[in-house]
Amino acid sequence: MPRGTSEVSEPMYFVLAALRAGPLHGHAISKSIKELSGGRVQPSVGTLYGILERLNERGVITVDREETVNGRNRRYFRITDEGAALVEAEARRMQEAASLVLRPSGA
Amino acid sequence: MTALERRYRRLLLAYPRKYRAAHGDELLDVLLESAAPGRSFPELRETWGLLLGGVRSRIIHQARGSAWADGLHLGVTAVAVANLAVLLPYAGSLPLWTALSALALLATLRGWVRTAIPLTGVVAVKAVALAGGWQALGITLLPVSPSALTHQMLFQFGSPLTVATGYTVVVSGLLALAWRRRPVRARSWWWWAVVVAAAWAGPSWMPDDTTYPLSLSRVAVEIAVCGLAVMGAYLARDLRWALASGLYLLVTSAELVLHKEELTRQHLAYWGLLILLTLACAFAPFRQRRHCLD
Repeated sequence: MPRGTSEVSEPMYFVLAALRAGPLHGHAISKSIKELSGGRVQPSVGTLYGILERLNERGVITVDREETVNGRNRRYFRITDEGAALVEAEARRMQEAASLVLRPSGA
Repeated sequence: MTALERRYRRLLLAYPRKYRAAHGDELLDVLLESAAPGRSFPELRETWGLLLGGVRSRIIHQARGSAWADGLHLGVTAVAVANLAVLLPYAGSLPLWTALSALALLATLRGWVRTAIPLTGVVAVKAVALAGGWQALGITLLPVSPSALTHQMLFQFGSPLTVATGYTVVVSGLLALAWRRRPVRARSWWWWAVVVAAAWAGPSWMPDDTTYPLSLSRVAVEIAVCGLAVMGAYLARDLRWALASGLYLLVTSAELVLHKEELTRQHLAYWGLLILLTLACAFAPFRQRRHCLD
């Protein structure tokens, strides 16, 4: 992959892709990533929350609301407009890169 | 509380206290929901993820405020730890001076700069005098005998110049921080564990005829701490760890230069490794970004 572009890491990409469907809490994000990637990407909880904190700090996602379940706090994360633009740009970039290889020969 | 929850709670100690208080239960909730039924031990990948995530979170948490002031304080703390580690094996013979040195380190660690300056200064006068074989601030029987931590006499391989270098770095750094007139952050209590490891002469690893032996435990703890500094510089893209490592390298190099005639391959390897790790701290903040959020 070329460096210095607007690309995001693969787990970040799947986190953003999962949040496009709406606000989700940590466990739901983890399950959604697993489904979207066909079980290929399964970040550990420590890694997932590291990604969520960084995305939150950069304003790509934000905390939508907090709920208390079984006496424990649960944050629901939501993708921001900046995050949506970022993941869409990344998807377009990957699509263009894929089309170089996958388009029918001679087309 | 189940055995699995207890074990996960222990692993969450890797995270800073503030983060744990705010989000520890949330992480625990996800960890327990993700665990297979009947499981009592954490999965290896979850264990690794929590340890790495915790260290990363601690490092990011540290990289706040003025980089030069915090780097200076970190470097001064490391040298103050080394200064106390030199005196600690002789606490039985020098209880007052070891206690004063420990108080100086405590004041440095807590960020009480104005208290640390006179304490470090008075210990410096005594330490330099002892290294030179002079009497100052009271009579001390020389040479000062060791304890179980080491078998060498106090400052057997030191000189007034090298001892003065260490203390000068600490006092100068503290003066610069005091001049700044801003609060200095308190540092981790883990530094006390580093004092004990650095004070111990460690298992014998150099040939018996080595005239200037290196403590293996001290070398190990220095490399480990410098390794963490490189990790900090890499993750936070910040030069504070380079400044701190550079100050420590300066003090260590002064001692090695003094013994240049007695250096073996082990000494050179140790010196080279410290230089390499300090350079890594200096260059890591300028690494290429892997992605826009890196």
